[in-house]
Amino acid sequence: MTSTRTDAGATTVHPRARRARFRLARPSWTWPALAYLSVFFLLPLITNLVRSVSTGEASWSNPFVYYVKLITDRYYLGVLLETLFVSIVTTILCLLVSYPISYFMVRKAGRWNVVIVFFLVAPLLTSIIMRTFGWTVLAARRGLFNTWLMETHLLARPLDALNGPVIVYVALVHVLAPFMILSISAVLQTVDVRLEESARLLGAGRVSTFLRVTLPLSLDGITNGCTLVFVLTNGSFLTMLLLGGGTIKTLALLIYQQFNLTQDIGFAAAMGNILLIMALVCLLLQARLVRRRNVKQ
Amino acid sequence: MSLSVPLRLEGISKRFGHVQALKPLTLDVRGGEMLALLGPSGCGKTTTLRIIAGFETPDEGSVLIGEKDITELPPNKRSLGMVFQNYCLFPHLTVGENVAFGLKMRGIPAADRAKRVRAMLELMRLGNFEERTIHQLSGGQQQRVALARSLVTDPSLLLLDEPLGALDKNLRERMQFELREIQRRLGITSILVTHDQEEALTMSDRVAVMEAGAIIQIGAPTEVYERPHSQFVSEFLGTANIFHAVVLRRVQQDMWAVRLEHGKAEMLIACAANLASGGAVKIAVRPERLKMDAPAGGGMPAMVRDVVFRGSYYAYELSIADQASPIFVYTQARKAIPADGEVTIDWSPESAILLADQAAP
Repeated sequence: MTSTRTDAGATTVHPRARRARFRLARPSWTWPALAYLSVFFLLPLITNLVRSVSTGEASWSNPFVYYVKLITDRYYLGVLLETLFVSIVTTILCLLVSYPISYFMVRKAGRWNVVIVFFLVAPLLTSIIMRTFGWTVLAARRGLFNTWLMETHLLARPLDALNGPVIVYVALVHVLAPFMILSISAVLQTVDVRLEESARLLGAGRVSTFLRVTLPLSLDGITNGCTLVFVLTNGSFLTMLLLGGGTIKTLALLIYQQFNLTQDIGFAAAMGNILLIMALVCLLLQARLVRRRNVKQ
Repeated sequence: MSLSVPLRLEGISKRFGHVQALKPLTLDVRGGEMLALLGPSGCGKTTTLRIIAGFETPDEGSVLIGEKDITELPPNKRSLGMVFQNYCLFPHLTVGENVAFGLKMRGIPAADRAKRVRAMLELMRLGNFEERTIHQLSGGQQQRVALARSLVTDPSLLLLDEPLGALDKNLRERMQFELREIQRRLGITSILVTHDQEEALTMSDRVAVMEAGAIIQIGAPTEVYERPHSQFVSEFLGTANIFHAVVLRRVQQDMWAVRLEHGKAEMLIACAANLASGGAVKIAVRPERLKMDAPAGGGMPAMVRDVVFRGSYYAYELSIADQASPIFVYTQARKAIPADGEVTIDWSPESAILLADQAAP
């Protein structure tokens, strides 16, 4: 009894005092990172911007030819809209697939949560080309799916699953769903189960508890996940290239073709900048939505 | 809806894997009373509450509110009110929307809803807070919003799960009285789950002390405190000094002389029952019921080990003869007896509690 009384209070150091004494990072430490980003990120962006208004058909006297072409030309406008369409559909599909998984992970999985996270993150360690080719193996005319379905006599003739929009969406969701799942579950984790229990006791059924409590409180996660998936779909072309067989034409795919086939670098640069603007708009929207909700809380 | 309905738990039990969280338990809560379920963590009090709320289904037994068996009903059909430890207010809704939630779920029209929310906030002295968001409120205000939210639907039963656990000491004491006052005024049958003995004693009409999935003693706060049946109850509700002794003889009607195991002093205890002479007994005495005297006085000699000033009283730690565990005495005296002083301690026969559980001395 005596010893515990004398111990108390003697060794406590004020937390703020400690923080002031050990200051790990200094502002100057950011210089290497800033220098790196300037050379390999900012500079290319600027040269790309310059290129889009000065190379090929564009010149300083008529700088915005490519941009005008992109927005007014029927074909290119179509590609632009299709890009948006593909991204929106992929985002919605990802959300529908991911929310139940996130909910399961946070509310039901318990200690298996770690295992699920591992299985979600592990595929990200292999390159996207490998994962896309995986679908080729599965869905090809003589691939696994067709062989199985034929052997079990569920199919008479092999399906031509490759080179169509369906397999592209399947592969896109497969690649991008982890981002959505992790975003949503991160936020869902912060929603106290007892909030749902409170709602239940107050007379809300399972569905209204979800719609009125769980869903609104996890909106930040949905916003983050949707932004990520939308922007990533906007920029992806490998899946469309390898699995789409030309049925889905997006801006990113077009850029790839401009660079590799037509070598119209200026036009490709202009398309890249349009994509960049789309991504920036998304991020701005996300920042606004998330911040406003935090203020309200 | 009629208030003051009784609640009956009929032989409910619950097992989680290999752990028997609740042994078959029967409990009657009278209409309008506040009953505290008191016990350390893992004693089954929370499981009991969750079974009443409908978050857990008992393995056997049934839950009855009034005459109605609600064992199989989902939580949203039970018309209960509940206040959680950290209030669990909906952070995305305003104070008014929080309170209105239950009414909305019951399909009460908007105009009626607004009127009832207003009246309830008025009752909780939260009249101007309707438009506020939750994070703008202090802990005590959040507590009152949580109470308002659970009471506005006129529930037949109010469940309180460590409702004051998150408040600081001063506020907690004030809220204990406030909560009790509102509960009495509404006459709503309430169950309070707590591990805080003081909270259980001050707020409830009856206290049920739980240990290892069973209720081991139930009664009015004074009764449970003054007449604990077992060492566990005596020690869980405040501090108790435990003495082992041997019965010597009957001194007079309801009064027995015993010899203490340690110290060999002869003391008196009041007991209506017939005790076997020479039998071992276990006695509990509250620290504030022990009298401390100068060395020459009657009783058993003891040595002051330590003394602590606790504001309204002095707490002494004494040792007697060869007993290993210390004896605690609380006195209201102005001046402290210094450590290492010699004293004698004594008790009045009525303050010695004969414990029923006779563990080996």
